[in-house]
Amino acid sequence: MNMRSDLPAKNEGQNSAQILGNQAKVYAARMRLQNAMDQADALDAIREIAGNLIGTEEVAVFKIDNERSELWLYWSSGVDPNKHSVLEVQREPRLKQVLNGKPVFRLKLSAENLLSTDDPVNALIPVLVDGSACAVIVLFRLFPHKAGIEPVDREICEVLSNCAGRAVEPYHSR
Amino acid sequence: MSKKVLLVDDSTTTLMMEEMILKQRTSYECVTAKDGLDAISRAVVESPDLVLMDVVMPRMNGFEACKRMRTESSLSKTPIILVTTRGEEEYVEAGFQSGCNDYITKPINGFELVTLLQSYLGE
Repeated sequence: MNMRSDLPAKNEGQNSAQILGNQAKVYAARMRLQNAMDQADALDAIREIAGNLIGTEEVAVFKIDNERSELWLYWSSGVDPNKHSVLEVQREPRLKQVLNGKPVFRLKLSAENLLSTDDPVNALIPVLVDGSACAVIVLFRLFPHKAGIEPVDREICEVLSNCAGRAVEPYHSR
Repeated sequence: MSKKVLLVDDSTTTLMMEEMILKQRTSYECVTAKDGLDAISRAVVESPDLVLMDVVMPRMNGFEACKRMRTESSLSKTPIILVTTRGEEEYVEAGFQSGCNDYITKPINGFELVTLLQSYLGE
């Protein structure tokens, strides 16, 4: 058997398994959030998705206080809540884009941090309810073996953005 | 007859993802359990060809469940793959000491998962 002729088929199989794996992650994230039973379960879903599908055990949700131009810590897992109780919009230029509904990701291998904190921040994800950002999910340190945010992680973050409203607005259906 | 895989995780998100990948990419039959204790009883009843088990779970973690499975005569030779959040040497060593055959790190890569399981069960 000519081994070289098997290579394209092998690569194709690898690619399709990879694509399917990514689709499975995005689907599982969406199903988990949409089927969350209540607010507590929706917050648990965020923790599960961050840990099992993206690769971080350090995650926090900040609620937006538009009147005071700040975000206050609403819920967290794996981070010191005393260290991150409030984020002031004026001191965090990256937040402006997030408050307009666009996520911000730390580039792979970049030393730049997304927030003015010692803890590495890898993603700032707006939680959208009725088209407006009502909260921000912050993903801190990734697992040591994970080099950075991958394209599939961005897709999962988009699901978080669109489907995690119930975690912060209990009467929101999605 | 298709091979049977026992998937063990307290996260419904992970179980859903693993099951979806395996059902679409392999002919394996999947059964699930939600923690280590549940996994032992399911494994005794179902006699799976392979166990894919998370480490951090309520009631009984994956290391302990793995150790206990090895004391069951029907499960003593069943391949057990642990799913860990860490790839550090110490952590991996603890997994092998508990009797697992292999490990895979989170977040799970679809291709790696299928390839690893196929190396034990065939295609």
